[in-house]
Amino acid sequence: MVKLNNGYVPETLEEALSIMRDEKVKPYSGGTDLMLEVGEGASYLFLNKIAELKIIKSDSDYIRIGAQCTFTEIEESDVAPRILKDAMSQLAGPAVRNFGTIGGNIGNGSAKADSALILFVTDSLIRLKSASSERTIYIKDFYKQRKQLDLRDGELIVEVLIPKKYLENYYYKKIGARKALAITRVGFAGLLQEENGVITHVATAFGAIEPIIVRHPEIDEMFIGKTISEARGIKDNYLNLYENAINPSAGRVSKEYRKTVCMNLLKDFLNENGI
Amino acid sequence: MKYIEFKLNGENVQYEGSAKDRLLDILRETYRLTGVKCGCKEGECGACSVIIDGRLANSCMIAMGSIHGSDVMTIEGFSNTERFKVIDKAYGDVSAVQCGFCIPGMVLATECILAVTPHPTEEEIRRGISGNLCRCTGYNSIVKAIGIAAKEGEGLW
Amino acid sequence: MNNIGNSVLKKDHSKKILGVAKYVADVHIDGVLHGKFLRSKVAHAKIKSITLPELPDGYTIVDKDDVLGENKVHIVLEDMPVFAIDTVEYIGDPILMVVGPDEKVTEEIVSKIVVDYEELPSILDMTKSEVTFFDYHHGKGDVDGCFENADKVYDEILNTGYGEQLYLETNGMIADYHDGKITVRGSLQCPFYVHAAVKLATGLEKDKVQVQTDITGGAFGGKEDYPSILACQVAVASMKARKPVRVIFDRREDITSTSKRHPSTARYRAAVKDGKITAMDIDIIYDAGAYSTLSAVVLQRGTICATGVYNIENLRVHGRANKTNTVPKGAFRGFGAPQVFFAMDLFMNHVAKGEGRNSLEFKQEHIVVQGNDTSTNGKFHFHVPLREMIKEVDILCDYKNKKELYDKPQSGRFRRGIGIQLAFHGAGFTGSGERDLIKAVLKVKKYKDGTVEILTSNTDMGQGLQTTFAKIAGKELGIPFEQIIVRNPDTDKVPDSGPTVASRSLMVVGELIRRATARLKDEWKDGEEQIIEERYKHPEFLIPFSLAEFRGDAYPTYSWSVQSVELEIDMLTGQHNVIGAYGSFDVGTPIDMNIVVGQMEGGMLQGIGYSSMEFMDHDSTGRIRNNSLSDYIIPTAMDVPVIVAQMHVNEYPYGPYGAKCAGELPNVGTAAAYIEAVEQILGKKVQHIPFTVEDTLRAISAKED
Repeated sequence: MVKLNNGYVPETLEEALSIMRDEKVKPYSGGTDLMLEVGEGASYLFLNKIAELKIIKSDSDYIRIGAQCTFTEIEESDVAPRILKDAMSQLAGPAVRNFGTIGGNIGNGSAKADSALILFVTDSLIRLKSASSERTIYIKDFYKQRKQLDLRDGELIVEVLIPKKYLENYYYKKIGARKALAITRVGFAGLLQEENGVITHVATAFGAIEPIIVRHPEIDEMFIGKTISEARGIKDNYLNLYENAINPSAGRVSKEYRKTVCMNLLKDFLNENGI
Repeated sequence: MKYIEFKLNGENVQYEGSAKDRLLDILRETYRLTGVKCGCKEGECGACSVIIDGRLANSCMIAMGSIHGSDVMTIEGFSNTERFKVIDKAYGDVSAVQCGFCIPGMVLATECILAVTPHPTEEEIRRGISGNLCRCTGYNSIVKAIGIAAKEGEGLW
Repeated sequence: MNNIGNSVLKKDHSKKILGVAKYVADVHIDGVLHGKFLRSKVAHAKIKSITLPELPDGYTIVDKDDVLGENKVHIVLEDMPVFAIDTVEYIGDPILMVVGPDEKVTEEIVSKIVVDYEELPSILDMTKSEVTFFDYHHGKGDVDGCFENADKVYDEILNTGYGEQLYLETNGMIADYHDGKITVRGSLQCPFYVHAAVKLATGLEKDKVQVQTDITGGAFGGKEDYPSILACQVAVASMKARKPVRVIFDRREDITSTSKRHPSTARYRAAVKDGKITAMDIDIIYDAGAYSTLSAVVLQRGTICATGVYNIENLRVHGRANKTNTVPKGAFRGFGAPQVFFAMDLFMNHVAKGEGRNSLEFKQEHIVVQGNDTSTNGKFHFHVPLREMIKEVDILCDYKNKKELYDKPQSGRFRRGIGIQLAFHGAGFTGSGERDLIKAVLKVKKYKDGTVEILTSNTDMGQGLQTTFAKIAGKELGIPFEQIIVRNPDTDKVPDSGPTVASRSLMVVGELIRRATARLKDEWKDGEEQIIEERYKHPEFLIPFSLAEFRGDAYPTYSWSVQSVELEIDMLTGQHNVIGAYGSFDVGTPIDMNIVVGQMEGGMLQGIGYSSMEFMDHDSTGRIRNNSLSDYIIPTAMDVPVIVAQMHVNEYPYGPYGAKCAGELPNVGTAAAYIEAVEQILGKKVQHIPFTVEDTLRAISAKED
């Protein structure tokens, strides 16, 4: 561990967590969001030298991505799921992707976070650790309110766990103001799995439109157990439920724009799957 | 307490200030490397591009503490290399330098593209400079220059 | 054709690509003080009181009481103060400057200053303004008669929005008052404009004011008038502090408080008889912002060019520049022309549609030809190459066939359209400005050792002027252009050859350089120092222009463009994808092919930005919300991969080697081509730019209802 003037550079997670417990510090992952703030206040805890937070691996149930993995590293990984790589590849520009991390992206608490959208639609988990505790929770439970996370004192995000089961057939669309360097104005992701003519999984999520990423598994689950043609039969009902469930806020674009685009993309996702 | 130690354009240096200081400011003010430009201070334009441990970075978004132990290269360092000569000639041949403000960043982005993909497609080139804004050229001449550098620099990347 | 067009290695290439070129922010001065502005947070108010925090040692306030000359910034008129007097007129209006050795401390001090405002009603809508800075009328023929006899009358209102020049290098200036002389250096286009302004504000004699141009990282008109304002402020500060003072804007300050493109609203009316437009009645309003700055001249160009490339013999044009309590508008590539060329070409398309005609054919029937009168009863003295250029663009992008193809019903998620726009740019200063106002003079100096230096006040802001000037001189003298010296202008060292605006430098000053160096060649004496002075001569073929009556040749000649934009829209999201942007440009002889094509490509991309993604507006309090690079969106390298610019050479006999104005042209005639494509896809009329993704989706949704 190296102590600098206004900064700490731990080499292990254990060192980092001890500092989190003992000092008043601000975790610095990649800096691409943090450095937009005026630098007053706490020292920075630089996490970018902790090797164990940079691992991407696959086990029987999950693809595990260390919180310090940069967007570029995820994009270049053979192990990371394609839906996530797709999202990472469209984020900002090369320099931001080289230093921004998935942990920082989530830790920012914003519904515009491109990685968070993917984690929501995949019903992923995140593992949080402090010097004295460890817990693994669903990503949806981590976001309490706009920019308010269930992050306790002394905790760091150490890993995301993406369930491997339903990643094959995905739909992803990011809408920004231009083709690169664009903050997401509407994000949509969808997953659908069919086995032996029967739908076994449907998941959708909407990013950047409300204070928290929108995910309604209870609506999506309507399709489970149905065949594609049966699904077509209840499609209108499904869409009506989403019509009522999605309530976008105005931001860089209007509520009406966000609502219309969300519904259009949702329909397109269904169309692409024959529904 | 340690000073921040890093390599700057090949030389070992020590920075005695705050770990929270912005790399862009320190490069320009402490090390007088004014080839690194400031266009926005928000990581949105690439004028401040440097290469850290072989990766393109916006130095305005980098805190000094994060480069402790790292290798930092600015245009001043890169311009001493053989690869730079090829890029220099390519950009010159197509007059890609207009007002010049984006150019040091574009050159480093060029190096980062070719270091990974020595024979990039046009799409890969455009993607590689997508974080570097230019208001003068419309990008055509810069894209052309990078293509020429890839061809002429056969074997260098 | 001349081989002068053969591209060369630009004079400024090496120092810029090596990163050693020093822009003003790169200049290091020991003991320099930093300046930070306190700017108004309200759109219109009386300043009741200002409460300052305690100032640490070495920190000073500079305000209206420190102006030793006149508290006025000379631009065209002098209605803008250097520092606010007792009112503020827009959000961002500079009230005072805090000056001191540490930039962060000056920022902190500014944040602690409390201003007690008595808010006054503010006008934010140009159509509701009661203050008209400038009001021009011109016309010819029998407009009312034609409207009475018309088969049909077309009437619509077309609107254009703000534009931000977004030069990559923000505004910056350093002033140093020493030994009774003030030296100002910085990023600027017009050193003598700045000189005049600083002289007025400081009260110093002419030879005690010096303005040095630093390497300028892009300007596009954004550094035409604004530097005069900033220069006065830093000069006053340096005179007070008795030390050099430096102000470099950060991006947000630059976006929100420096000059922008004038938003406009224009009512276009046309009388059509027997399938042809017989008369037009046009009423334009430009939003000038809080002070007059350059609006008189912008308005002149706008009203003169309101009918675009079309021959309208019965014409009435009324133009006004109205005050609003928003940031003062200034110059941006095209200078009032992009607004009216957009409006006119789009209007023509709409009239054509109303007449059941193909829009390009209809437009071609109205194009001016050589010998026609201009809108102000000047003449199109030279060949108008639009017909040939239309053919060229058609070959480039297959416009006609695609237009027909995309007219057929499209049903997919992604639908395409194509548009074409015709435009010109009037070369140089409006009317007799060159002869009566600018009176350009330059010098060419030959040193004893045979090296030659060009002494002009024109600045290279990326458009390659140092190279093209040197090429002209080199060609005349038979000397390699690399050996011709062209420096960044210093008012102590160069005569006033006029500002670097109106796309005049190459055509007017370049021609003076050619004449001067031709004379030098004749009079060359080895081993002797020689200075050749050359003065502007007004071309004799011109019909004299009267500004009072808007009559005569407003411009000596015109550069022409035909641009086409092929667009694809995602009907589910409203997003735009430019499939290709194509243009044919006549700027006379290109003095350097790479440089000129580079200018065309850059201008086309700015025109595309102006059409859709570059949205900016003020909110109901007068504040500009799009105040950072994440909110004012300019194209990246991925956004428009296909831009094709082709030169059509139509030599101008009074320009150097046949060259005429180039820089602004490509930005003037893009937006209507873009919007024609949008309309084709949506099957709906569009009447404003920027036409954003949101506008697009709204139109798609409305159509379905």
